[in-house]
Order: sequence, then structure tokens, then C-alpha cells
Amino acid sequence: MAGRYWRHFDIVLLVVTLLLIGLGITMIHSATSSVPELAVLTQRQIIYAGVGLALMFLMAAVDYRLLSSLSLVLYVVTLGFLGAVFVTGQALVGAQRWIDIGLSVQPSEPAKLLTILVLARFLADHEEEMGRWRYVLAAIAMLIPPVVLTYLQPHLSGAIVLLAVGAVMIFMSGLRWLHALVFGLAGAAAAPVLWFSLQDYMQERVLIFLNPQSDPAASYNIEQALISIGSGGWLGKGLFRGSQSQLQFLRVSHADFIFSVLAEELGFIGALVLLLLLVIMLWRLLRIAEMARDGFGRLIVVGVATVVFVQSVINIGMNLRLLPVTGIPLPFVSHGGSSLVTLLLGLGLAQSVAMRHRKIEF
Amino acid sequence: MVRTRRPRRTVSRLLLLRMAVVLAFITLAAQLWRLQIVQGDDFRWRANSNRFRLLSQEAPRGVIYDRQGHILARNRPRYQVVVIPEDLPRDEMEQTKVLRRLKYLLETMPTAEESALTPGKATTASAATPTPSTGLSLAEVQARIAEAAQASSFRPVLVSGNVPREVALRIEEESPNLPGVRVQVQPRREYPSASLTAHVIGYTGPIPSESVETYVERGYLPTDHVGLAGLEATFEDELRGQAGQRAIVVDVHGREVRTVGEPQAPVPGHNLVLTIDLQLQQAVEEALLRGLQAAYRRSGVAIAMDPRNGAVWALVSLPAYDNNLFAEGISAEDYAALSQDLDRPLVNHAISGIYPPGSTFKIIPAAAGLQEEVITPRTLLGDGEELDGANDGVIWLPNKYFPWDRRQDRPFYCWVHKLGYGHGRISLVTAIAESCDIYFYQLAGGYGKFEGLGLERLDQYAQLFGLGHLTGIDLPAENAGLVPDARWKRQTYGENWVTGDTYNMAIGQGYILATPLQMVNATAAVANDGYLYRPQLVYQITGADGQVLRDFTPELIRELPIAREHLAVVREGMYRAVNWEHGTATKARLPDVAVAGKTGTAEFFTDRDQDGWPDRDAQGHLPTHAWFTAFAPYEEPEIALVVFIEGGGEGSTVAVPVAAEILRAYFDLQKSRAAAEEMVASMEEDTGAAVPDEANHGR
Repeated sequence: MAGRYWRHFDIVLLVVTLLLIGLGITMIHSATSSVPELAVLTQRQIIYAGVGLALMFLMAAVDYRLLSSLSLVLYVVTLGFLGAVFVTGQALVGAQRWIDIGLSVQPSEPAKLLTILVLARFLADHEEEMGRWRYVLAAIAMLIPPVVLTYLQPHLSGAIVLLAVGAVMIFMSGLRWLHALVFGLAGAAAAPVLWFSLQDYMQERVLIFLNPQSDPAASYNIEQALISIGSGGWLGKGLFRGSQSQLQFLRVSHADFIFSVLAEELGFIGALVLLLLLVIMLWRLLRIAEMARDGFGRLIVVGVATVVFVQSVINIGMNLRLLPVTGIPLPFVSHGGSSLVTLLLGLGLAQSVAMRHRKIEF
Repeated sequence: MVRTRRPRRTVSRLLLLRMAVVLAFITLAAQLWRLQIVQGDDFRWRANSNRFRLLSQEAPRGVIYDRQGHILARNRPRYQVVVIPEDLPRDEMEQTKVLRRLKYLLETMPTAEESALTPGKATTASAATPTPSTGLSLAEVQARIAEAAQASSFRPVLVSGNVPREVALRIEEESPNLPGVRVQVQPRREYPSASLTAHVIGYTGPIPSESVETYVERGYLPTDHVGLAGLEATFEDELRGQAGQRAIVVDVHGREVRTVGEPQAPVPGHNLVLTIDLQLQQAVEEALLRGLQAAYRRSGVAIAMDPRNGAVWALVSLPAYDNNLFAEGISAEDYAALSQDLDRPLVNHAISGIYPPGSTFKIIPAAAGLQEEVITPRTLLGDGEELDGANDGVIWLPNKYFPWDRRQDRPFYCWVHKLGYGHGRISLVTAIAESCDIYFYQLAGGYGKFEGLGLERLDQYAQLFGLGHLTGIDLPAENAGLVPDARWKRQTYGENWVTGDTYNMAIGQGYILATPLQMVNATAAVANDGYLYRPQLVYQITGADGQVLRDFTPELIRELPIAREHLAVVREGMYRAVNWEHGTATKARLPDVAVAGKTGTAEFFTDRDQDGWPDRDAQGHLPTHAWFTAFAPYEEPEIALVVFIEGGGEGSTVAVPVAAEILRAYFDLQKSRAAAEEMVASMEEDTGAAVPDEANHGR
């Protein structure tokens, strides 16, 4: 029975995924090659990728519609997950974003996926009524608790991603333009309140982004990232030969600034290939969304695509100094297990939707 | 349709999402293009300035030797601690931690004094006053770093200029924990002969802050040391050499990763071999010191040179200073003590001190009078009963405007006047030997019917002998002295030149001023039949491999337009001054060498007690400088000499014995060296004879 479904498995999406992960592992290896203590990161990323891919296939095999009925449970699990950080969380780089369950997990990552599922169920159930205030507000009310919990971790960028994902999903489920406008204005009006509720370091980052000269020491790394990228030229300096990354002028180059390493060592062409791979991935995901047999599947895929999209743009935009510095990894490429495994699970869901896009297969 | 529940709205919104994706990624690609392609060159330049460093490696400065090969100036390694602001941790806390640790290391380790870096008498004296190199507070260091980082954050900032070796090694060991801190080894100057040759050698030191820019333009680093005085300054370009350069790649912590390209090795500076003879210099200093002690004075000069070519063998100016103090980086107290000393130990009086030359000047009017045929060797001039009724050592010069009014005559005394008699009418040779002032008054200014030289010719000859002009010796801060003329007096004093001024000048008094070096050089010109040479201190310039790059060549300033027989008469006068019983310099007589010389006792005005009046002794006499110029042997002179004792009193009693001692030392030294050479030569002959013999047998 399974073979029938697997025929609709999106091979192109899989290939693009593997290419991105491979590129990521290569760049992580290059970025950490001059620091022996960090050599282990490459191996870890390979393991994460293996685990993630296995989970992806497992997820693809499961009929996503089964998850629909688990919606309430999943919602509770999500909040529990996020809440757990406040109990057992350990501060890493000044923020309580990790919980230790044998190995460190960043709960905001799986929370994204869980929120997508929960929201997709709700929106799919009420797709016909989304033109009405009540349901829109209800959807937003569902979204608020995980966003706030993420924000309080404190993990501003995670909260932003969640918010973006929720917004796009609500929008896709048939939000009226008038409503969209009203919410947009309400959001703008709330901005000053939000600004003052920001943690100091968050405010600082935004200010430094707006005026890099205000604190040369703090804008050091983004400056070095620009030098790395800019000095790459057309074809780059070659793998393992980027002076900025190999001589460690660029910091956390294996994680949030992996794009700078790539642009330095592989140049404009290499960076374009990465952008292209991401675009293809998004294209394939949106194609699946289009073909999905039901609203639930479609919204799940839209949610996953939005995560990939928003994170890519925020991360690369930060590397290129189009956006302030935030702790968002580049999907599939940056080092980090929680993010990679979550994203692969998301792709598994998408594949599951793709595989079951027709009711009956003859 | 197979697909269910897919409102039209969804399709259009998915399209919107796709458009958003395309738009976002086009924006990213555009920015990527801008950074990598449009601004690529700028960023590549910045990436390169991140990783490349140009390291300068100081060239060993040339060594200075005396004529016999004794080392007068050499290098020894010296450890400097610098901080490169760019490589310090960016985090302020981290940075403070590094600097704290560094300060701790610098302060808790033994000082240069305890560790006794280099043995040797000269350095132990200077090491006793180590520079307070670690005295900077943390805040001061940070301020310095902040200041320097504004100019260039790659430029090293000096934290400590002189660190003991142990500390330097310790800091090197801890370097992984001290990012941005570097230990630089820089050769530093050391002067084994210290104050004995300080006025000749001078010293090196850090570039004075006001001239940093000019030096940097000439290719120096602001932290370099340069020659600031003496030969170190004059021959800076020869001694300096060429710094080596090495381009390296550094990582973010400033640690060297590898070298790029061919390193350029430093080219050592050239060595100087001086004309100075350290042993003679030592003897001269000792003799002068004894002379000073006998006269209860501190300041004096003695110079010995070769009249045949202008080579200076010994040049002593007292008081002197220890130039090692400067090489180490002199402390404020030491410098204040030296610069406030009334006897000015930092000034080389031999070339910078100008004094009335007194009777040592008389050789010039003597030679001039003969050459200009104002006198012959037989001409008799001087005091006498037939002149003014008494041979009492006084002549009366009539007033220019009232020559008939004898009450307005001005008396001019000879030095013998105080003994109650005069020299009488005498010839030139006797006048020089007895240093008769009246003879020279008349010779220079005329008297009665006798036409003298006159001021113009006197000036002309004084200048021919090099007075009023720099001798051009290889030392900075030489003074030209003063040969006054009528115009000068009008401009300076608003008065006309009178015969009395010419009288005074004839005996080296009045307005004329000369350096001791000028006087010995003029004496040398008399001794060598009229060749005025430029005094030279450098015998050879040699390369690092010992190859001679510039050999000694005498440099003639001029051949004096004075007939040899006239100079011979002057020399005879100088011979008699030493060897006649009535001569003024009989104490310079040596048993086996004929010495010739001219004494001088020059009155001068000074006001050391600062009462607004010239100082005088109990009898109302002005203080006098003691001078003596000499050459020897009388036939074929090979050494010319000046001894000058500031405020020392009588030349004949104070300066002459010093000269005698110096001459004795010189001829003893010559004798023992000749004997040693002979011994070596005979040994060479023995061995040398054996070799050709064998060779012959071989054939």
C-alpha cells in the first residue's frame, strides 16, 4: 500500500534539501577547520542530518491527517515545552533558550512546528468562516501564548518567526483585506509599547543596526561579516581559504554567520547557488501547498515554507546588513541540531501532504 | 475536480506568497552584488589589512672603534614591551584583564639592576639608575593605547622600554593569554668608554617628540632610536643601516600564522673607526683632570691632533657625562642635574665653547706681520727708555682726537708690568718666547711712527687661520667664534673701532673669541708650514664585513698664503718659549723631544656671584683662562695640542704642566707601540723566513 504514496514523494525537494545540508556541512567544516576544538561540530551536524532525514521519512510515511485529531494534545505539549525552559532552562549566551533532556534542545524550534499544526487544524476547520472577525480573533488568540512564551525566553527572533508564520497562515486561510489592514495598523500602534518591553540587548542590537558607528566594538562582527562577504568577489577565495573565516576575524562563523563564510569562500556565484536552492525549495513547497487535497495539508505546508522563507531572509539579510543582528540560523545550512531536525520534520510533513494529494490513486 | 475545497482566493494568495519570495530573494541578491562586485575591491583591501602585517626588524647599528680597535660604541639586545591596540581583546573587561596581568608581570619581576644583564664597568654604572620603565599606571597605559589607536591601531604602543631578559621571556611564555602584547628585541647602544669619549661619540635616544614627523618621513618608526649628539648624530645615516621587513599573516589575536613573500633581511649599519686613540684620550683626560684639580676648576679642554693631516687623536672636554644614561633613556632627575650644572657637562667646550684666546693668538699677528712685511725678524719693537722714558712694561697710546694732550693718553700694559719691569725693545722671536704684549700692540696697531698691521689685515689673517669660521669637524653644535671688525663694533656697541681695540685683539683679548679646537688647528697650521686642515674624527668607515668603504683622506681647508720662512720664525719663537730660560712655557720641556708652544692667559668677564658686576679677585684682577697651544717635535712636528682651563689662571703655570704630561704620555705610547711592532715584525720575520726556504727546497 505504501508504494502507491511514495510515487508522489517530491524527489526534487529531497535533492534540494540534501544539497543544502551538504553545503552546510561543508561550510561548517571549513569555518571550524582552523579551531581544533570546534572540529567536532561537523560530525555533530552530520549526525543531526542523519537523524533528521530519518525522522523526515518517518513523518512522510505517516498520514498527516492523523495529526489533525491530536491538535489539542499538541497545543498543550507546545506550551509545556516552552514553559519547561523557565523551570529547567539553562542560560546560553545570556538567554534561557535551552532545555536539557539528555542533550540540549532549543524548545522554540519544535514549538514552531507544533504551532503550525495546531493553527493549521483550527484554520482548516474554519476556512469558510475566516471572513468573520470572531474566527480571526480566535486564531490570533491561539497564536499569542506560544509567541509570548517564546518572547519571554527571551527569544525575540523566535517569536518574530512564529508571529510571521501565524500571520501568513491566517492570511492564506482567507483573511479579508480589510481585516488585514486593521491588524496591520493595530500592530503598528503597538510598536512603541513593544519597543519598551524589549530587553536591553535587543534594543541595543537594533540601535547598532541603525547606527553602526555608535559602538564600534559591538558592530565588530557584522563589520567583519561584510568584509568577508565583500572580499569574496565573483568566485570567492576557495574552500578553506577565506582569510576572514580561517583567521577567525569572523566569529560564530559556523552558526549565524555561515552565510558570510560561504560568500567569502565560494563568492557571488556560490552565494547565488545557495539563494537559488532556497528559492527552488520554497517553490516546491508552495507547489505542494497548491496541490494539497485539503486545507489542513495546505496550511501545514504554507507554515513550513514560511518558516524556511522568513528564517532565510532574516539570516541572510542580517549577514548582508539589511537587517539587525538576531539569533536566527540559516535553514539547513547553519550548525544546530534543534533547527535542522525540526526543519526536516517539517519537510517530512510537507512530503506527507505531497504524497497524499489525491484522494484515490488507481 | 479531484481537489476539494480550494477557494479561488487561496490560489491568488499563494501567488502573492511566491511573489514575496521572489522579491525578497532578488533584494538579497542585489545587496550581494553590491557588496561583492561593486564594493569588492574596498572589502578585499580591508580583508587584507586585517590579516597582513608589516614587521620591521631593526638593523644593527654600526659599531664605533678607536684607531687601535677598542670598542667605543656597541649594541646589546634590549627588550621592549609593546601593545598592538588592534590585537587587544575588544571587550573592555578582557582588555583590562590582559593589561593588569602585563602590569603585574612587569612590576613583580626583578628590575634590571638586580638581574645585572651585562657585565662591564660602564653599564654597571648606568644600570644603577634604571629607568622607571614600569612606572606607568594602568590608566596611563590605556590612555596611551586609546590615543595611539586613533592614528593607527596596528602601530605598536610602547609600554615599557627596558625590560629585563627574565621578564621578557616570561611574557613570551604567557603570550597565548596576553593577546596584543608583544616583546620586541631592539639592539641598544652601550658605550664601554662612557664619559671618557661621550663628547665625541654622543648618544642615541628615542626620537624627540617634536621631530617625529621628519624622521618618519625619512623612513624611521616612531619607536626607533636615533643618534642625537656627537658622532652618533653626525654619522646617523652611515651607522643606521637599513631595517629589514617581513610581511606576515596574523589571525584575529595578532598571532603570526605565516610569512608572506621574501623577508627582507636588515642591512647592518657601517662601522666607524675613529682617529681617536683611546689610550691617549685616557692619558689626556687624566692629565687635564689633574690640571683642573690643581687649579680648583671643573671645566677645561684638551685636544691633541696630527698637524700633518688634521686627524684628531684625543678630544677631551670636562666636565663630561655618561652617555650610557642617554642610551638607557635618561631619567628626569639625571637630566635636570646635567643640564643645570653651571659648568655645562652636556656642552662640548672644545667645539662649542668660545673664549678669548689670549696670547695663544699672537702666532697669527706674528705670521701676518712677517708676510705683510710690516716687520722682519730683526725688527725691534717694545717698551724702552727712548720711547716713553722708562722700560716699565707700559706704553701710552695717545687719544685719537687729542693726540697733543698727553694727559689723555691711555696706558697699555704688558703682563710683566706687575713684576716691575719691561721686556725692552726686542725681536719677534723673543716677543713670542716671552709673550711680550707691547710688541704685539705695536705690531698690530702701530705706535708713533711705526705703521702696524691694522685691523683689516689682522682680521684677514685671523680668518685665514680659521678663526671666525667653523672648522667643519664631524660634530654637531660647533661654534664659529668671533673675529670682530669695525663694522661689527659699530653695529653691536654703536662705537667706532679705535687703535686700543686693535691692541687688545693683538694679544687675543677684547672682542675676539675662539674655540679651543680653532686654536689647536691654527697652531697645527703653523707647525706644518701653513696647511690648514679640516679636523677629522673618523679614520675609516667600514662595512659589516670589515671592508673599508671610506678611508682617511686629509681635507685641506686652505694653504695659508704665508711664506714658509715666516712660519719658521713663529715656530722658533714657540720653541724658545719652551726652551729658553726666560720663556713662558719652560715647564713643557721634555728631556728627549723638542717641544714648542705658546701660552695664553686670557682675562674674561663673568658674573658667577650674580651681583651685576664682573667678578674680580682680591687685588681687583679679572679672572683668567689658562691656555697653552703646542706642537712637538720642533722639527717635523707630529702632534699639535691645546690645553685650556676655564678660569684656571696663568697659562704658564696651570696649562703648561698639563700639556707636558700629555706630550710625555704621547711619546711614551709611541715608543712602546714601536717596540711592540718591532717585536711582532721580528717574529714574523722568523716564521716568514722559514716558509720561502721550504718552498725553495720543494723546487
